[in-house]
Amino acid sequence: MSKKLSQKIAFWTFRILGWFVVGILLWILGFIIYNGISVISWEFISQAPRDGMLKGGIFPAILGTFCLIVGSMLIAFPLGVMSAIYTNEYVRDGKVSRFIRMMTNNLGSIPSIIFGLFGMALFVRYLGWKGSILSGSFTLGLLVLPLVIRTTEEALRMVPDSLRVGSYALGASKLQTIRYVVLPTAFPNIITGLILSVGRVSGETAPILFTGAAYFLATLPSSIFDKFMALPYHLYVISTSGTDLEAARPIAYGTALVLITLVLIINFTASFIRRYFSKKHGAN
Amino acid sequence: MDKMIKHSEKELIALKQEINSMWQLVLSQLQKCKLAYLAGNVELAHEVVIREKSVNSFELSIDTGCENYMALFSPVAMDLRLIISLIKISTTLERIADFADGIARHVIEGNSMASEAMKEDLKVESMFDAVISMLSDSFVALESENTKISGKILQKDDEIDKLYEEGKQYLAEYIQKDPGKGQCVLDTFLTLRKIERIGDHCCNIVEEIVFYIDAKVLKHSKGRSASKKAESNGSEAGE
Amino acid sequence: MNIIEAKNIDFYYGDFQALKGVSLTVAKNSVTAFIGPSGCGKSTFLRLLNRMNDLIPDIKLSGECFINGENIYRKGIDVDVLRKKIGMVFQKPNPFPKSIFDNIAYGLRVNGERSKEFIRNRVEESLKGAALWEEVKDKLTHSAYDLSGGQQQRLCIARALAVKPDILLMDEPASALDPISTSKIEELIYNLKAEYTIVIVTHNMQQAARVSDTTGFFMLGELIEFSDTKKMFLNPDKEQTQNYITGRFG
Repeated sequence: MSKKLSQKIAFWTFRILGWFVVGILLWILGFIIYNGISVISWEFISQAPRDGMLKGGIFPAILGTFCLIVGSMLIAFPLGVMSAIYTNEYVRDGKVSRFIRMMTNNLGSIPSIIFGLFGMALFVRYLGWKGSILSGSFTLGLLVLPLVIRTTEEALRMVPDSLRVGSYALGASKLQTIRYVVLPTAFPNIITGLILSVGRVSGETAPILFTGAAYFLATLPSSIFDKFMALPYHLYVISTSGTDLEAARPIAYGTALVLITLVLIINFTASFIRRYFSKKHGAN
Repeated sequence: MDKMIKHSEKELIALKQEINSMWQLVLSQLQKCKLAYLAGNVELAHEVVIREKSVNSFELSIDTGCENYMALFSPVAMDLRLIISLIKISTTLERIADFADGIARHVIEGNSMASEAMKEDLKVESMFDAVISMLSDSFVALESENTKISGKILQKDDEIDKLYEEGKQYLAEYIQKDPGKGQCVLDTFLTLRKIERIGDHCCNIVEEIVFYIDAKVLKHSKGRSASKKAESNGSEAGE
Repeated sequence: MNIIEAKNIDFYYGDFQALKGVSLTVAKNSVTAFIGPSGCGKSTFLRLLNRMNDLIPDIKLSGECFINGENIYRKGIDVDVLRKKIGMVFQKPNPFPKSIFDNIAYGLRVNGERSKEFIRNRVEESLKGAALWEEVKDKLTHSAYDLSGGQQQRLCIARALAVKPDILLMDEPASALDPISTSKIEELIYNLKAEYTIVIVTHNMQQAARVSDTTGFFMLGELIEFSDTKKMFLNPDKEQTQNYITGRFG
């Protein structure tokens, strides 16, 4: 076989596989939209489920997911950013930072159902927060912490050392350098990482299974100590249990459509923000 | 920023100013030398001898300045030509001043001076005037960076050479008529010879100026001074 | 008056000795240039003057270094205060991703200056000092990255000038710039010595010759020769210096 021909075959293989990914995504999207679009209406988004969840909307689940996103980010963002600053900016000993980094990665590879169990043990039982938005947020916050740390560290590492050195040379302290030079420069990338972890949080089911997600609630939660409904769990519930699974199917697809739209919007926002800031600050 | 004169340029300007002062000094040495010789003015001749020292120190300081400029700024193109010319011009000016000094010393010794009539016959004053105008014209050429007058200056040298040849002839005849005046004739001849050499040096200066401004090498070129060079080389031994 | 006085300095990166018994003095309001082959220790020496080497792990220094009569390696010295008094300009222009104005104001703000009036005046003064004011006065709020490389480097010089240092250290400040920008920076260095003491490291010998009053030649961590720049480039004392500056090295 000639060199030219083998090259041709190889690149056509790569090309087909590359577009295959796009194809899968479009297929899933098309499938969900095709099946779910019929139930989408203002009522579906703004009302609570009725009649054994066969009628009405999914508003409480959207609200619950929203609360979980905000809550878990309030926990994961400061913790993650500060931890990343510590390992990337302060630890001078390579061994220590390598150890912390390894542990962070290990934390990230723990299956999410284990986080659920741990959350139940610590927040629900030991701390006595019961199944609540608070417990769920904390559990999800811990779950995405490694992701936040890793993306933040990545963002900090992309800040050129010449900027830090330039700041020290003007008599700035380390904290001032981090606060006024390093963080603002890394900000777009940190935000991008944060938004990606929002996508993760909004889709997780296992960690909230034991920490407060409810099958059905007659009223909206009134405080962070109340149980909640969430989109992924709601989807799970109406597709696996209920009085009439066949009748509930369109509603399940509608829920999936809302969830997937939410995640996609978040992802697009992330890339938009990254592009906006890198344009504003020029290259580097 | 762009309008500012760079500090390397300032150094060049300072060097040019220094060579200007040296030039003026050598010119005034020549003028005084002429007056002293024509009038037999010993006092003026002493002045020339004393001032010779400051001509020498000018040469040293311009040399150092040029060396430093080359070492620090590694000049190229026009700047390089200027520095090379300045080094040669300062050496030449010093030589001219040396001749003036020699004539002045002859005036101070005084015992074998030419008579007024002989000076008249030899047209010594015209010769002096010719070299003085060559030197001052070439100064103008450098100052105005204009080489159009260089031909005129070089022509003057031919006039001087003619006067010199006539003078030689005159003195040769004179010594036959009056062998007792041998010392006087020899000394007078040497003076003529010095003035003639000053003229040659002025030509060299003009050549350097042309090299600096037009980047042309006139030296040893056809049509100019080829025959004259051979001639002056022939009489070099007389110095 | 000598503003910098180094006495017998040895400097180590781990086991590697980067400087061997370097002693020298730098006069106030002069430009001192350090030349030498790569890895000869000239940049190391420059960086120990504002303790920039502290940022590198596992270093060791012996000997004494006085700036304005104060030993900058004595215990308990405030390094931030020291660095404020000794500005530094780096090889590659490193403006912050901020506006031109904020870049210059940064040094003042981190050192506790709050008066807007004062900051505004100082920004203008520094930009004028770095011969950049005319080019940027109408776009102070633009990003510093909008400037050309040469302008960015002059911005970095202005940034260093804003905190009114006594000494300005420059680590190959023009090596990343085109000839025109380089010549502007050199002219600037020459003019700045009226108010500042400047120490510059350069790979370009002609640059050292053009801008400096005193030149030091480093080789293999030793200060081989330290003398008047004119003397250095006309009649150096040491054969090694001669070989290096004439290009007969090695």
